Amino acid sequence: MTSPFTEAEFMIAQCARLLEDQKTAFIGFGMPQVAAILAQRLQAPQLVQIFEFGAIGSEPLTPFVRNTMGGPSNCYRSLAWTSMNQIFAQAQLGLVDYGVLGATQMDLYGNINSTMLGEDYARPKKRFPGSGGANEVASYCWKTVVIMMHEKRRFVPRVDFVTSPGYLDGTPGARERAGLPAGTGPWRVVTSKALFGFDEDSRKMTLLGVLDGLRAEEVLADMDLKPLVAGRVESLAAPTEEELRILREQIDPTRTIIGRTARP
Amino acid sequence: METLTSGLGEYRFTDPDVIRAWMRDHKRREFVDKTLTEAEAVSRYVADGDYVSFDFSSFTRGPLALIREIIRQGRRDLWYCAKFTLMESTLLAAAGAVSRIDVGFMGLGDTLNRAVEAGGVKVTEWTNGTLTLRLLAGAMGVPFLPTRAMLGSDTLKYSGAKVVRDPYGGKPIALVPALNPDVGLVHVHQADVHGNARCFGPGVSPLETAMSARKVIVSADEIIDPDDIRKDPGKTTIPYYMVDAVVYAPFGAYPGGVQGLYEMDFEHFAEYNTLERQGKLKEYLDRYVYSMGSNTEMLEKRVGLERLNALRRRAVVREGYR
Repeated sequence: MTSPFTEAEFMIAQCARLLEDQKTAFIGFGMPQVAAILAQRLQAPQLVQIFEFGAIGSEPLTPFVRNTMGGPSNCYRSLAWTSMNQIFAQAQLGLVDYGVLGATQMDLYGNINSTMLGEDYARPKKRFPGSGGANEVASYCWKTVVIMMHEKRRFVPRVDFVTSPGYLDGTPGARERAGLPAGTGPWRVVTSKALFGFDEDSRKMTLLGVLDGLRAEEVLADMDLKPLVAGRVESLAAPTEEELRILREQIDPTRTIIGRTARP
Repeated sequence: METLTSGLGEYRFTDPDVIRAWMRDHKRREFVDKTLTEAEAVSRYVADGDYVSFDFSSFTRGPLALIREIIRQGRRDLWYCAKFTLMESTLLAAAGAVSRIDVGFMGLGDTLNRAVEAGGVKVTEWTNGTLTLRLLAGAMGVPFLPTRAMLGSDTLKYSGAKVVRDPYGGKPIALVPALNPDVGLVHVHQADVHGNARCFGPGVSPLETAMSARKVIVSADEIIDPDDIRKDPGKTTIPYYMVDAVVYAPFGAYPGGVQGLYEMDFEHFAEYNTLERQGKLKEYLDRYVYSMGSNTEMLEKRVGLERLNALRRRAVVREGYR
């Protein structure tokens, strides 16, 4: 029997389980930070967190403080404090294993939009803040993990704007042809209902698992794109008591991040 | 070198020899006292139409006192390097000070997004990393630098980058043009009166921001003795000859924090967020900028010693920050 949990708690726990100990991981703002701290408190105490403003190997103090990503709590007990040019050079060089990002919208090939909605760039229907450092993370890290709330409008056949590259048009070698580092790209997409990977050949998003108790059809009905479905769709365990305890008591007692739920 | 594609975005570019001549003629090698008030520094070194860049963000070690002074003096038509920017780019836009933005990440809240939708602010797409790389190119005195970011994306299509064939390896590679801002603003932990400056902790690009810009204003939480610089030169982030003005600005990053000195003021950001969501940033600007003659007056009358002391007490993690 498991306790009730929020969608954010499931996503964060699921994402944290993907992160391995003694690997380097570029961590984006918000949910990725909470997932990385949870991973450090469980199976990956020596996960080397890396941030775009140059901190390497931080062991963030908890409770996690939203906003002050570059501040002393989040950068506590780092191995090195560098700069943005230095840290993106390290990622470009191939030293960073994982990139963990949030995203506004994604398409079938894992391309990420965080720039705008609409047909005409000059007249956006809706403008978003832009790439930030996400384009670099999605371009350079060996395996990119994207965390997104499972909402229909967020998963579309083609994004209006490719802010950060997935597998582009999905043709074989599309990333390499564009000049992106070989062997990189989106690896997992963690949502509030499911886990996706990307097919080796077609590069299409592929349903790998669904939250225990949900059916694959329900999950797919909540997407505007049609992903492939793995031969055997695994059942993803709900957050454990221990994961929930660490999230609620240590990391985010005010529930600013873990309290989030999807919009209907 | 074969050009494969060119981004459509407008971009700022200056011939490196023009920049070299500027550095020869304007960057003073004499050891002179460069301290000015924030009003004097902004009046002298920030003009309408300037391209402005600054370091870190409104949450951490951002030059917020200088930003407020730019707004107070009513600068217009600025072009802004929005790498890792949050409250500062939003406030400048709300004050009508900005007409163009190079986007890495813009704004805290939706104000800027709405301004772009309405066509009030023009944008060119970049990324945090490529804007910082452009500053590095500008800081190196070379016309461009290569990067493997942005390739394959619409971000590149609407940027000022070009994709060329790497003349050595043959693969496509992106080039970003050097950026030499008219103005660089950096808030630091410590500076001496000549402009030698120290920042502690991770930073986005304090050195590149100061090194690439024609006119550099450093604001400092503490003014230290020039001899202290020579006693511990490994701590110098920015050497004095890059700096045109030094502003003594205790709590100069407020409402953001400075690592090891004071924490960011969450209550202030909450107030800002509420006003921003209600479309009432004009009220915010009246309260914290226009009705105040200086940063010191704002800190005295709008924040108060008790709250500032509390922010100092909240800065409990100090190791590494001195």
